[in-house]
Amino acid sequence: MDVIANEVQAVVKEKRPFTVLGLLKNRWFLYGVSLVFFFFIWDFVAATRILGSSLARPHEVLIQLGQMMVDPLAGKSLLGHIWASTQRILIGFVIASLVAVPLGLMMALNPYINAVVKPVFDLLKPMPPIAWISISILWFGIGEASKVFIIIIGTFVPCLLNSYNGVRLIEPELYDVVRMLGGNRRQEIIQVCFPASFPAIFAGLQISLSIAWTCVLAAELVSARSGLGFVIILGMNLSRPALIVGGMVVIAVVAWATTLLVTLLEKFACPWKREIVGL
Amino acid sequence: MHKGDAVAEADRDGYKIVCEHISKEFIQKGKQRVHVLEDISVEVRKNEFVVILGPGQSGKTTLLRIVAGLEIPTTGRVLLDGREVTGPGPDRGLVFQSYMLFPWKTVMGNVEMGPKLRGVPKKERREIAAYYIRLVGLDGFENHYPHQLSGGMKQRVGIARAYGNNPEVMLLDEPFGQLDAQTRYFMEKETVRIWETEKRTVIFVTNNIDEAIYLGDRIITLKGKLPGRMQAVYEVNLPRPREHTEMKFLELRHTITEVSELTL
Repeated sequence: MDVIANEVQAVVKEKRPFTVLGLLKNRWFLYGVSLVFFFFIWDFVAATRILGSSLARPHEVLIQLGQMMVDPLAGKSLLGHIWASTQRILIGFVIASLVAVPLGLMMALNPYINAVVKPVFDLLKPMPPIAWISISILWFGIGEASKVFIIIIGTFVPCLLNSYNGVRLIEPELYDVVRMLGGNRRQEIIQVCFPASFPAIFAGLQISLSIAWTCVLAAELVSARSGLGFVIILGMNLSRPALIVGGMVVIAVVAWATTLLVTLLEKFACPWKREIVGL
Repeated sequence: MHKGDAVAEADRDGYKIVCEHISKEFIQKGKQRVHVLEDISVEVRKNEFVVILGPGQSGKTTLLRIVAGLEIPTTGRVLLDGREVTGPGPDRGLVFQSYMLFPWKTVMGNVEMGPKLRGVPKKERREIAAYYIRLVGLDGFENHYPHQLSGGMKQRVGIARAYGNNPEVMLLDEPFGQLDAQTRYFMEKETVRIWETEKRTVIFVTNNIDEAIYLGDRIITLKGKLPGRMQAVYEVNLPRPREHTEMKFLELRHTITEVSELTL
C-alpha cells in the first residue's frame, strides 16, 4: 500500500492455487484451444477434400513458403516479393501522410484554408480508392507509379480527416490555460494543438496503413510482375492453392508487422499514453 | 505617471479587484439570447479570500471567467489595481474545475508552463516550478504524468501551475467539485495552508456552503436560475484553522442556508 500525498493507493495481486477448473478458465489455455481447433478444422476440410482440391493443408502451405524462400518465383524470392509490396506502401504512405497531415492541421486551424480545400475533399472522399485503379493505369502505366498513386489516394483521406478532427476535438479550455498563463496564439498552437492532436494523427496513420495494404493488393491483382498480390494471382493461374494461401498468410504477417511499427512509433512520440491499455 | 495615478487610486480605495455593474448575455445558436449575469458589483481587497457561493446555473463560473479576462462583460467592467481588464494575463492565475492539465506534460512540465511561455530560462523556471510543487506537497512526483495521479493530486498540480507565474490574483473555479468528500475536506485544509504560506488575492467559486465558510474571509452569494444576481454578503470573522463543528460556524451555515436556495 502506498500513501501518496495523504491519498491511499492500494495494489492487490491475487495468486490462485492450480485447479482443473482454473485451467479451463485460463485465458491462455482458451487461446490455445481456439487456435488448435481452427487448424484442426482447416486440415480436416483440406484433407477430406470437402471443397475439392482447392484448399491446401496447413503443412503444405508451410512447405510452399519454405520453398519460395529458396527458389525464386517469377525472378524474385519470397523476400523479394514482400519487399516489392512493402516498398510501394512505404513510398505512397510517406508521401500521403507528409501532405495530408499538415494539410489537415492547417484546415483545422485556418477557416479560409478549410473553406477552399474542404469542398473538393468532400467530393472525392466517398470514392473508394480501388475505383481509381483503371484510370491510374491509363495515366501512369502498369509500373510502380500507378500502384503508389492508388496508395496515396487511399491513405490521404484518413490521414487528413484524423489530423483535422484531432485539432477540432481539443478541449477549448486547454487554450484558455495557455492564454491565462500569458501565451499567445502561436504558443497555443505549439503547446496545445500539436501535442493534443498527436494521438488522433497516429490513429489516422494506423487506419491508413491497413488501407494501404488493401490498395496495394488490389493494384497488384490487376497488374503486376512482383509483389504479394502478384503471388496470389500466380497461384490462382497455376491452380496451386498452397501458393495462394501462403501468399495470404505472408500478407497478414507483414501487414501486422508494419502496423506494429507505427504503434511503436506512437509509443515513442506520445509517452503520456504509454500506460493506457486497449487503445 | 499615469500608471502611478491609477495605483494610487486603487490604494486609496483599498481594493485589488473591482467589478462594476457586470452583466453578461450570450448569444447562442439561432440568435437566442441567454442572460447569465445581472448587475454584479464586487470589490475584493488585497490578499482577501472571497468566496462566490451559488447554486448551479447562477453564472458564477461566467463571473470568474470575466474577471480572468476570458469573457467580455456585456455591460460593466472589471478593474484590477484600477486598470480595466481587457483580456487574460499572467497577473491572474486560474484553477479549473476539470483540472485541464496538459496530459502530454509531466507534473514538472505542467507547473513550469507559465514561466516557459513568458520565456524564463530553463534552469530558473525549473527552480520556480520545484518550489511550487513542494508547496502543494507533490515533491517526488515531478516526472509523473497526469493520468498517473489521483483527482486530488491533479488539482494540486493545477494550483501549483496557477502559482507558477507568481500571479497577484488566484481565481479558483469549483476546484474540488470532482473530488470525493474526504479528499475535498482535506484539499480545503491544504488550500488554507497554501494560501497562508503564499498569500494572494483569491476569488474562489463554489456551490458548497461548508467549503465557503471554511475558506472565505467574505462570502458573496448569488441567486440561482439565470440570470445570476447578487443576493447577500457575509463576513466570516472566524480564526483559521476553522472547525466545521464550531458554534459560530454552524450559526453562519444556518443563516446562509435559510437565505439562499442552497441546501447542503
